[in-house]
Amino acid sequence: MTKALKQLQYQVFLLPILLVYTLFTIYPLLRSFVLSFTDFNGYNKDYNFTGLKNYMKLFADDAIVSGISFTLLFALLSTLIITVLAIPLALILDQNFLTKNIHRAIFFFPSIPSGLLLAFIWGFILSPVSSGVLNTVLRELFGVGPQPWLSDPLLAKLSTIVVATWASAGWHAVLYLAFLQAIPKDYYEAASIDGANRPQLIRYITLPLLAPAMTVSVMLLLTGGLKVFEVPFALTKGGPGFETHTITQVIVLRGITETQYGLASAISIVFFLIVLAIAYFQVTLMQKREERIQ
Amino acid sequence: MTGGTRRNWLLDLLLLPVGLLTFFPFYLVIVNTFKSAQETSSRPMSLPNTWDFSNYGNVFEETPIVRSFGNSLVITVCSVLLMVMIGAMAAYPVVFNPGRMNRLVMLYLLMGFMIPFQTTLIPLFQLMTDLNLVDRLYGLIALYAGGAVFVFFLMLGYMKTIPKELSEAAIIDGCSVWGIFWRIIFPLLKPITVTSIIFQTMWIWNDFLAPMLFLGSNRNTTLVLEIYKAKGEFSVNWPMFMTMTVITLIPIFVFFLLMQKQIVKGIVGGAVKG
Repeated sequence: MTKALKQLQYQVFLLPILLVYTLFTIYPLLRSFVLSFTDFNGYNKDYNFTGLKNYMKLFADDAIVSGISFTLLFALLSTLIITVLAIPLALILDQNFLTKNIHRAIFFFPSIPSGLLLAFIWGFILSPVSSGVLNTVLRELFGVGPQPWLSDPLLAKLSTIVVATWASAGWHAVLYLAFLQAIPKDYYEAASIDGANRPQLIRYITLPLLAPAMTVSVMLLLTGGLKVFEVPFALTKGGPGFETHTITQVIVLRGITETQYGLASAISIVFFLIVLAIAYFQVTLMQKREERIQ
Repeated sequence: MTGGTRRNWLLDLLLLPVGLLTFFPFYLVIVNTFKSAQETSSRPMSLPNTWDFSNYGNVFEETPIVRSFGNSLVITVCSVLLMVMIGAMAAYPVVFNPGRMNRLVMLYLLMGFMIPFQTTLIPLFQLMTDLNLVDRLYGLIALYAGGAVFVFFLMLGYMKTIPKELSEAAIIDGCSVWGIFWRIIFPLLKPITVTSIIFQTMWIWNDFLAPMLFLGSNRNTTLVLEIYKAKGEFSVNWPMFMTMTVITLIPIFVFFLLMQKQIVKGIVGGAVKG
C-alpha cells in the first residue's frame, strides 16, 4: 500500500464532520456576515448592499438596545451570584454529614431538566395575581400585598436571574466540589501543624487552589448567560415591553418573525463579537489571576 | 478537614431549609397534579383534599404526549449516535495521522466553540427552508449532527492517551486503516463515548430553540415543544399543565438517578481538560 493511499484512507474519516460543520455552522456564519450589509428581506431574491446602515440602525432600535443590555446584565449578574453561592455550597458539601448525598442530589437535579419547563414551574410560583404562590406566602406571613414579580421591569429582570441561579448553582457547586476533592490532604495537615486555623486554611489553601475551577465555571456561566433565551422567554415572554428580551429573542423577532434578515444578521454579528470579546478577556484575565495567586 | 460529630449535625440542620426551598418547586408541581383547577388556585401549596388521578388520564387523552415523547426519543437517539460517530471518526486522523494539514483542520473545527448558534440562525433558517428540511425530524437530526464538534473535542483529548504502538502493531498484522479504527480504537473510546452521550443527550432532549424554529406542525413536536404549546392551551388549567410536567420529568429523573455519577465524572473530565 502506498503512503499516499494510506494518507487518503485516514483523511476520509474527516469528511462527515467537515460536511455537516461547514454546511450548518461555517456557511451560515459567513452568510450572516454578508447579509448584515444588505437590505435582504427574504422575499426579494435581489437585494442591495447598504454598507453599515443596518449597524447604524441597531442603536436606534429599542428592542435591540434593551435586548443587548438585558442579556449583558443577566450574564454578569447570574455569573456573579451563582459563583458566590456555588463556592460555599461546595465547601459545605465537601464535609462529612448525614444528609450529604441527598442534599447534593437536590441541589444538582434542577440543572438536568429543560430550562423552559423549569421556568414555567416558576411562572406558577411568581404569578403576579394575588393567588400566586409567592404572593400568597407574603400575604399570610407578612401581610404584604401582591407584588408584580413578572410584570414590573426591575422585578421581572431579578426574577429571571433568581430562577437561573436556582437552576444552575448546584451544577457549579459540583464542579467546584470535584476540584476541592482533588486538593491533597497533606496541604491541610501541614498547615494545621504550622498553626493555621480553619478560616486561614480556606483563605490560603482552598480558595487559591480553586482558581482553575473558577476560570472554567465563570467561562461556562458567562458564555451560557450570553446565549440565554428559554428562562426569560418562558417566564415573561420578554416583557414587560422589551425589558427582558434577550439577544436571541430579538434575533428571532426581527429576523424570523418580521423577516428583516439584514438587520437581524447585523445583530447576530454584533452578538458574535460580544461573545468573542468577553470570552477572550475573561479567560486571559482569569488565567493571569491563577498564575498570580498560586 | 474533619470536624466533630456535633459540628456535622449542625451542617444537616443548616442545609435543611436551603434544601427544602430548592426542592419546593418540584413539591408544588407534584401535589397540584392531584387537584382540580379550582383547588389549585385557592390552595396551591397544601396537599390535595382528595387524591384525584384523573389529570393523568386526561393528559394522555387530550395531548399527543406519547407521540411527542417518541419524536424526542428518535431525534435524540439518532443525533447523538451520529454526533458520537462523526466526532470520533474526525479525531482519528488528527491524532494518528498528524501533519500540518490536520492541525489546520483541528483549528477549523475548534473554531466552532466560539460560534454561537444564534449567530448562524437567520441563514440557517433560509438554508433549512431551501433544502426542504423544515418540519422534518431528519432535518433537525442533520442540523444537530453539526454539533459533533464538541464530541470531536472530547474524543481528541482522550484519543491522545491511546498508545500509538497499538495501531502500528495492527498495521503490521495487516489490518486496514478503516479496520483499526472500528475494531481497535473505537472500542477503547468507551469511557469518553459515555460522557459524550450523556452531555449531548441532555442538550438535545432539552433543546427548545431549534425545534421551535424548525419543527412546526402538530405531528412533529418534541416533548419540550409540547410543553410550550400546552402552556398556551392550558393557560387557565394549571393542574393539567403540572401533570404534563410531571410526566415529562419522570424519565428525566430516572436518567438523573442512573447517570448522576457519570454526569459528575463528565463535568470533572470536561472541566479539567477545558
